[in-house]
Amino acid sequence: MAAALGRLGLERRSIRVPDVALAAWLAMLAGVTAYGAATTTGFLTVSNMKAILTAAAFVGIIAVGLTVIVLSGNLFSLALGQTAAISAMLFLYTLRLGLAAAIVLTLLLGLAIGAVQGFAVGAWRANPIIITIGAAGLMEGMAVWLSHGQSIVPPASETSWQHLAQPVFGLAAPVYVFLVVTAILAVAMHRTRFGRQIYLLGENRVAARAAALPVTLLTVGAFGIASLYTAGSGILIGATSANASLLLTGSYTYDAIAAALVGGNAVTGGRGSIARTAAGAIFIATISDMLLLRGYSTGGQILVRGIIVVVVVVLTNLRERSR
Amino acid sequence: MNGERDPVASPGSRSRSSGGAVLLEVVDLSKSYGPVRAVRELSLDVRVGEVHAVCGHNGAGKSTLVKSLVGLVRPDEGIIRLDGVELSLRNPLDAQAHGIALVNQELSLVPELSVEDNIFLGGLDVPLLYRRRRLSEHARRVLDQLGLRHVRLGTPLETLSIGERQLVEIARLLVRDARLLILDEPTATLSKPEIERVFRATRDLVAQGRSVIFVSHRLDEVFELCDRVSVLRDGRRVGTHEINEIDRGSLIELMLGEMEGALAQAEHEHAAPGAGSEVVRIERLHVPGSVDDVSLTLESGIITGLAGQVGSGTSTVLRVLGGLVPEASGTIEVRGRKVLLNTPRRAADAGVLYLPNDRQREGLFLGQSVYRNLTVTRLRRLSRLGVLLRRRVQRTARELATLAGVPVDRLGSPAASLSGGNQQKVLLGRALELEGTALLALDEPTRGVDVGGRAEIHRLVRVAARRGTAVIFSSTELDEVLDLADVVVTIFAGRIVSVVPRAQASAATILANMTTSHAAGGVAP
Amino acid sequence: MSALERVRYRPRPGDLAPYAILALMILALALLPALTQYTVRTANVYDILQNFASYGLVALALGITIIAGEFDLSVSSMYLLGGMVAVLTGVGSPFLGILAALGTAVVVGLLQGGLIARFRLNSMPVTLGGYLVVLGITYILGHSKSVIYENFSVGLRLDKPVLQIFSIRSLVSLGIFVVAALVLRYLRVGRDIRAIGGDRRAARVAGVTVDRLLVGVFVVSALGAALPGALLSYSLATASPTNIGFDVLTFSATAALIGGVSLSGGKGGAVGIAAGVLSLSVLQEILSILRSPDYVSSLITGGLLVVVTIVWAPDLSRWFRTTRLARSVEPERAPS
Repeated sequence: MAAALGRLGLERRSIRVPDVALAAWLAMLAGVTAYGAATTTGFLTVSNMKAILTAAAFVGIIAVGLTVIVLSGNLFSLALGQTAAISAMLFLYTLRLGLAAAIVLTLLLGLAIGAVQGFAVGAWRANPIIITIGAAGLMEGMAVWLSHGQSIVPPASETSWQHLAQPVFGLAAPVYVFLVVTAILAVAMHRTRFGRQIYLLGENRVAARAAALPVTLLTVGAFGIASLYTAGSGILIGATSANASLLLTGSYTYDAIAAALVGGNAVTGGRGSIARTAAGAIFIATISDMLLLRGYSTGGQILVRGIIVVVVVVLTNLRERSR
Repeated sequence: MNGERDPVASPGSRSRSSGGAVLLEVVDLSKSYGPVRAVRELSLDVRVGEVHAVCGHNGAGKSTLVKSLVGLVRPDEGIIRLDGVELSLRNPLDAQAHGIALVNQELSLVPELSVEDNIFLGGLDVPLLYRRRRLSEHARRVLDQLGLRHVRLGTPLETLSIGERQLVEIARLLVRDARLLILDEPTATLSKPEIERVFRATRDLVAQGRSVIFVSHRLDEVFELCDRVSVLRDGRRVGTHEINEIDRGSLIELMLGEMEGALAQAEHEHAAPGAGSEVVRIERLHVPGSVDDVSLTLESGIITGLAGQVGSGTSTVLRVLGGLVPEASGTIEVRGRKVLLNTPRRAADAGVLYLPNDRQREGLFLGQSVYRNLTVTRLRRLSRLGVLLRRRVQRTARELATLAGVPVDRLGSPAASLSGGNQQKVLLGRALELEGTALLALDEPTRGVDVGGRAEIHRLVRVAARRGTAVIFSSTELDEVLDLADVVVTIFAGRIVSVVPRAQASAATILANMTTSHAAGGVAP
Repeated sequence: MSALERVRYRPRPGDLAPYAILALMILALALLPALTQYTVRTANVYDILQNFASYGLVALALGITIIAGEFDLSVSSMYLLGGMVAVLTGVGSPFLGILAALGTAVVVGLLQGGLIARFRLNSMPVTLGGYLVVLGITYILGHSKSVIYENFSVGLRLDKPVLQIFSIRSLVSLGIFVVAALVLRYLRVGRDIRAIGGDRRAARVAGVTVDRLLVGVFVVSALGAALPGALLSYSLATASPTNIGFDVLTFSATAALIGGVSLSGGKGGAVGIAAGVLSLSVLQEILSILRSPDYVSSLITGGLLVVVTIVWAPDLSRWFRTTRLARSVEPERAPS
């Protein structure tokens, strides 16, 4: 990450602080991993590392998409779990039209769902949290209605989707997708006009408006991308489970938000990066894995995750304040 | 202002307090902000039961004096005595406890609460079950006194006009038994009947034995309301007079001091209007509550300065050009075409580049690098197919920084780490040399900038104008207007008072026009 | 004629909205017999009030944090924790269980409120973390399973009809609503809460003790979520770490918003929130009479929430104005 910043030439977000903070973050990750390796049996094995990455992948794809919303200053979306579930269901359902068609349709749906929410937030300044809560409810209702309450399974005739869940060179396909789409989005946020404008919008919405930035379009884009990525993750989840229903919603929403926050992105927007979220997702997956290996229950894992989120939010705020 | 008048309070028959007991004594107050000496050895006294005006041009020290009196600022030296007792004010609540209260543009009222709730908000001795009859009656009496008889206690504050809200703020201070009220430019956003109400309330207050400090640039009102006037200049008090012993001309002279002579000569060559082509035409611009019947023609290469004090409407005119006032009505033409500037995007598309006056809140992106701040307005040009052309962006940022006088080694630092002057240069930098700009609209381009920085910024603006862009700026400072503007437009209470080419403008007339309305006999060119 | 006319500020639309919506819902209920074979009986009113008892206080809790200018995302898990603690500690004496649940709520509220006030944090990410922490504790206490509450008689007593339509549970909820309404309207504390939500800077300058109030608001919010959760667990004789099929947060947010609570803070009251909860409860009852599947309720609640949020959106009218006017005058694009 520091190298990435260096490549941008003159541009450094600030003189010293993020370098220190990022280094501290990475140090913490390394420290925890080392501690885990030393004290947890079964942690430092190849298969375990693969398990961590796989667990991180699904949440990670959603989380990096969500990060664009966070960076744009719109806090976060509480509709992503439902979006993932509904995407998985649509994907499996439309497989009868062929793999390519299924993927395209699902991604388009994801994009549309996000874009509509983004429009309300961008053009009318509707509260993003509440709008996404409402959208989640709508999606839940629609999903159950359209599926008649039953899980969707892929059609027997079509098996191409199984490739999406296959391991490639020993690593599950979703992991590669995670790494690739993260890299794409990270580059996009740093190198494109859109990305730059999102950072500016998140930093100061009023100033962005006065400087004639296209606020509505940017917000539509942010929510659209988040939803698009979530739909992508939903496709992979559906392919992996071979079965989709609202039960899939699980804790994706909160896990994705936790990943973005734990990575150190400022919830108020304008500061942070995609890479941080990816690191956050991996970090959370690492911790969860360690806890699992040590016999912590579901509750324990959730509890630890919650504590980490609170601690990081306080630290991030203190860091921002000291600038 | 010839409404019905209370016979006791009309001039002449009113007993102008002369030689009454002293309530407030300020002795040798000094305060510096770094190298800038805002106030030096300032001494002042305010008598019991008087309305004491404090006048002075911008930068004379008025706001520092006020802030010292209410505990917002700790003076470096000097003594403040109330009733003979020396005060050490650490914060506004301290000042309030001593009975000193301030009413200024930024009201500390909550619009969602009712009038009564606001009056008793945060009071130190307001009981738990506070809506007792006794308190309500007290509030009712105070409101009636202030002329708000028609306002019910339970009305939500947000349904009241700004003038009425100001009176509610005063009511709150009265309920807390303020002895010295400082009214800092209270009438800037008020309508005539509201101003009358404030005056009547003020007169009643002093009749009760309280004192009022009236800080204002509106000389008509000073003459109507006040008993004595003190003039500040360069951080010192240069004179105090009984109001009936001085006239407007002498007052202006006192405020200007040596500036009068020095500013008579224009230091730079100013372009004469009529030479350039018409770029922007504004006709009958009207913004409810702010600006009325403003018509202007802006030519290429000409710098038009809107001179007016806070609240006069100059900022509003510029905001309209920036697309931030959708409720504006009137016609605006840019390059011969009628345009509807109701969003900032439309303004930018029409070729208007607007810089807001509140650079911290609305102008800069403080946490982002200087580099990003400089290039925010031209990202489209610096990218192809949506991808930023990094080398070109960096080069452009460096060029703009050099042009604007921002140290190049700070390009990577967050804008928040720059000094005020440099921040303003960054803001200006993003507006320079942008192709297709028809009009630069600069809202207070040198606010919070020192003399050296101001000169640099003015030079940049002139360069931009010479390249053919039309420029319009607003300022509350006389010397800036006279230095930078080719055409001086004075605005008072939302209306244009005069439009004068620089060559024919004099400091005294401009100041007079900024401080009084045309109807009341403002000096026409 | 002065250039400076009075600018009158229009009061927000919808001060009467909560009552209008409630009236609409009741009307719909009343019309049911005409459209179906069903006769509306007192049992239906009882059901409605039971629903109110189960979730009303959570809406009140969330509503108060919104009025104060914050947002407590942890209410949905605090609800569950309240139930879990009450069931685990209340086997011998239900009162003890309730007290334990309330005590837990106070601790949680102090922690969240303390962090938010002390570090001036945005309440959303903090309460999100709080949500996870509380949920985790709930799981741990119950060993990831539902816990049975042996003392069945307590539940029966709580739900026994009083005057045909009430029950102890619903009377407790109604009673607390009344107290809240009085406090918010007549006590200084109530006004100060609205002040810190309406304009925090002005409130601070005016001398309101903002930090202490913030902590108090989050304590109240935790209490408001824990109590109904505890009572419901007694009533169902089970405490569960999950609430599948029903999202307490969505319900509370919708009820609070249609109850007139403004997302920008400073506006709203207990009576309005009660109307909002009742409206949704009547709606649930109508749907249950019509034997509608669950998803219809999700759809309508979610849809209502979206509609209300858009109606309250600050820039809605400005957007309408600028797009409609734009169609009449097309600006010329400057060469760029």
